[in-house]
Amino acid sequence: MNRGFWFAVTLVLAATMVLVSCGPAAEPTAAPTEPPAAQPTAEPEVVEPEDAEITLLWGFWGSPEEKASHERVAEAFMAEHPNFQFEYMFAPWDDYFTKLQTVWAGGDPTAIPDVLFLWPTPSYAARGVLENLQPYIERDNYNLDDYWPYLLDSARYEGDVYGLPRDIEAHALYYNKKLFDEAGVAYPTDEWTWDDLLVAAEKLTKVDANGRVSQYALGMEGGKWPIWVGQAGGMVLDDLSNPSKCTLDTPEAIKGLQFFYDLMDKGYAIRSATMSQQGGDQAVFETGQVAMIIQNSSRVASFNANADLDYDVAAVPIPVGGQRWDMNGGAAWVMSAGADNKEAAWQFLKWLQSPGGGESMYTKNGEIFPALRSVANSEDFMGVEKPANRQAFVIGAEAAKPGGFAYFPEWDELSGSIISPQLDRLWAGEATPEEVVPGLCEAVDAFLADNGYPK
Amino acid sequence: MNDEWHHSSFALFSGDSMSTRSLSEHPLSQAEQRRLRWYRMQRAYEGYFFLAPNISGFLLFTAFPVIASFALSFFRWDLLTPPVYAGTAQFKELLFNDPQFRRVALNTFYFTFGTVPARVALSLLLAMALNQALRGITIYRVVYFMPVVTSLVAAALVFQWIFNGNFGILNSFLWGVGSLLHIPIHPPDWLNSTKWAMPAVMVLNLWKNVGFTMTIYLAGLQAIPQELYEAAEVDGAGGWAKFRHITLPMISPTTFFVIIMSLIWAFQVFEEPYIMTKGGPAFATTTLVHYIYLNAFRWSRMGKAAAIAWLLFAIIFVFTWLQVRYQRRWVHYEADQE
Amino acid sequence: MKPIRNSHGAGSGYRQRRKRIKRLGLHLVLITGSVVMLVPFAWMLSTSLKEPGDVFIYPPQWIPQPVRWENYTETVTVMPFGRFYLNSAIQAISVTALQLLTASLAAFAFARLRFRGRDALFLLYLATMMIPFPVTMIPNFVIMRYLNWIDTFRALILPPAFSAFSTFLLRQYFMSIPTEMDDAARVDGASSFRIWWQIILPLSGPALATLAIFTFLGQWNSFLWPLIVTNSEKMRTLPVGLATFQSQFSVQWHLLMAGSVIAVLPILVIYIAGQRWFVRGITLTGMGGR
Repeated sequence: MNRGFWFAVTLVLAATMVLVSCGPAAEPTAAPTEPPAAQPTAEPEVVEPEDAEITLLWGFWGSPEEKASHERVAEAFMAEHPNFQFEYMFAPWDDYFTKLQTVWAGGDPTAIPDVLFLWPTPSYAARGVLENLQPYIERDNYNLDDYWPYLLDSARYEGDVYGLPRDIEAHALYYNKKLFDEAGVAYPTDEWTWDDLLVAAEKLTKVDANGRVSQYALGMEGGKWPIWVGQAGGMVLDDLSNPSKCTLDTPEAIKGLQFFYDLMDKGYAIRSATMSQQGGDQAVFETGQVAMIIQNSSRVASFNANADLDYDVAAVPIPVGGQRWDMNGGAAWVMSAGADNKEAAWQFLKWLQSPGGGESMYTKNGEIFPALRSVANSEDFMGVEKPANRQAFVIGAEAAKPGGFAYFPEWDELSGSIISPQLDRLWAGEATPEEVVPGLCEAVDAFLADNGYPK
Repeated sequence: MNDEWHHSSFALFSGDSMSTRSLSEHPLSQAEQRRLRWYRMQRAYEGYFFLAPNISGFLLFTAFPVIASFALSFFRWDLLTPPVYAGTAQFKELLFNDPQFRRVALNTFYFTFGTVPARVALSLLLAMALNQALRGITIYRVVYFMPVVTSLVAAALVFQWIFNGNFGILNSFLWGVGSLLHIPIHPPDWLNSTKWAMPAVMVLNLWKNVGFTMTIYLAGLQAIPQELYEAAEVDGAGGWAKFRHITLPMISPTTFFVIIMSLIWAFQVFEEPYIMTKGGPAFATTTLVHYIYLNAFRWSRMGKAAAIAWLLFAIIFVFTWLQVRYQRRWVHYEADQE
Repeated sequence: MKPIRNSHGAGSGYRQRRKRIKRLGLHLVLITGSVVMLVPFAWMLSTSLKEPGDVFIYPPQWIPQPVRWENYTETVTVMPFGRFYLNSAIQAISVTALQLLTASLAAFAFARLRFRGRDALFLLYLATMMIPFPVTMIPNFVIMRYLNWIDTFRALILPPAFSAFSTFLLRQYFMSIPTEMDDAARVDGASSFRIWWQIILPLSGPALATLAIFTFLGQWNSFLWPLIVTNSEKMRTLPVGLATFQSQFSVQWHLLMAGSVIAVLPILVIYIAGQRWFVRGITLTGMGGR
């Protein structure tokens, strides 16, 4: 009995496992297909999807609030196009790209999002997973001129547009009026220079008896260094699509880095690592630990909701003799090359990125500074009361130029493994730009060479 | 424990009336011989039956992916386009041409040898302290386990405040001590310093995980029979002697386990540095698994990530093998099968 | 020689006092340690009841003013929290049960039985623990894709159910159990299965409880794997849901903490319940038992 008993039990166990594994499969899906290659399609036929039932899978990241906002946008579209249905691929921001890559690699068309949020576009386009939008744009005469200058560069590959940016990272100088009043400093204007900033910063920094800083003048994330470098006329690489050398060792670039370094070194600006440990620039601004921050428009909604915060914005200060400069990037809506209903996806994409369509809805909701100029200058954006000088963001967007990031596929790796860690040493106060930049440029040049640049 | 004797006689017989016979005196009949053969065969193979449920899943979901990842390390693959054969190029690049890899490997070694001894010692101490019939012992055990279940994101934030260069209580404390003793102490800005960020991360990791290994030790301590301690006390042994001659040896299989697992976990640490310092400043707290994650999912170098993983494996394997090899010297198994 | 302090027959009184002082000292140390252990959890609780703007004020506010109970209702309604909770529970309980079963069988084989290739197989088990997860995740994902298990419970439960760690832990524990009882049982005609079921398992209360707690904890908090094998919201698990509170430009700390507090409760319950098993379970016949 004992032998038979455990024999039987083992058999039962094994059988259970087999049964569980070979249970009824989920809805039959197509066999995994080869990852689609990137070929610019011939002019796509105009298929009128008016009567057909269409389900689009829409992919995006964000918080539950942001998801709710996207769902409202989808509902608005469905109101105009009743034959459309939406499903969502939704993942937390930090892990969205992990999820996305596994979905693409898995090759299951029902799991691949038709329209999705993406950053950065060119490197994914290079790997063939995105649909070339140029033919659709030309066929339907979609207006590309309404976008801020150079913004579309961040979503092009080999000259063709692969994505339509939803917003642009235009920056402004947020300032806390109460802290300015306390220190007796005049509010910033759109004409401020670096010198004006320094003068004000000195008055706005409060140091207590033990030498510890109780209030900083400025909070700015370390990763925004390209703003200072760009304003001074420098750039990180000589060519953004096909680089051959690092150009951070030019006097202009060093001037920009040095300015940022000095702000932190003098104690006017909170060190970026410290700031992120104290809740990021949003938290330190709202709690009055810094008097100014330089950031894109994403903070506006939550600052407006804070009744105790009396703030406004101004254009980012520029050096005397320098140029206005801002980042020319923004997350883009793209279409998967593996999408099963491309024409329908394009219809949705077009509507998303049109004045009166998605762009207006997001702008009205206070979520974005829009990529479309007409929407930015319309009541949807300019009509909101706070901050009063929202014009500052427009100034930033008009000044958007290339140079903050590169467009070749290995840029993320170059920036993440070499450039950012080295520059981190500057923001941590452990080395000066003179000490860091030569070694940094050497490493960058070596990386480019190892990866076959210039091609 | 005279195990040879146990196994030789009992292995032969299934425990019927023949249990006390010895072979030389009474040779077996045909029927008995057949039963014996069947019994021996059963004993030789029953191990596989016990193993079957576990090993089938293990082979499919663990062993196969591991082997696949090994194969992957010889290819360049970005997950989306077909893999490209690269031979041992990636390994060579990592070992000779990748300063980040060297930095990251050093960080990981620093972390491992900084935390594992402390972790093993602390957990054992805690387990011994909480293994007594103290009032409220269950409450204490739960409390010391709380860090394990506390959200790492929350804990990292609190520790960031503790280590804050300006206002953190650690630095306030050090300043206070310095002014009290009139010694100029200039504590560093911990999380902004490439030198001191890693020790801060180690503290977070120790805080979070010591309750885990403490619980393992508690289970092991429970297995030590009270009689041994009582007998020792009768012989006049004091606390230290009891510890050295009873506790330590009896708990050595658990210690063996704890050391190996702590080593493996320490070499594979990822979340604490990632959440507390994001691997910074300047890669000072980036560990090997973090580097793997970056390569696989941020920079689309899946093959390189697999290569790093196997280099990491080699490192861990060497240390584990050393442990297994030399366990005979200090690990005392009751079952004495080794 | 122990000093005889008091010759009035209260030598034991002196020892009693020393014992009490030692006890007190131990309590003091343990309480200090407890404070250190609990502070971040206290912050978690406190933040879960704060207004979003109050999370980072300096100096940190330990008692929220005002107390915002709505955080909890908001967290639970802004996403299908109940569904996520249920999915996580199903995943964690199933994996724990499967692991306990399969690992204890396998550990018994490794610890007590002899068969060809035993030690080599065990080394293989150990070796697989040394490959970090992000790397085996992709081949595993491909297997899920091939078996059509994506977005099903099978993908959440089966791959993690066969754990080398559990087998290792139980094997070590089994090896520390003396073999006398096994041998006695064999003399009485017990099969290996009987020995496993009636001797080893009952004696392994503490180790099995430990394993159950760890496995449940690991599965309850498991993030990367559920993220990539589930697509639809109805299969999503709790950690993935909570992670969405951390978005591109900001983190909703007050909601994240409220969600984390709710998520912690089952683990605490299980741990406290599991304490029952941490009692001395070894009674050895012939060794003077308790």
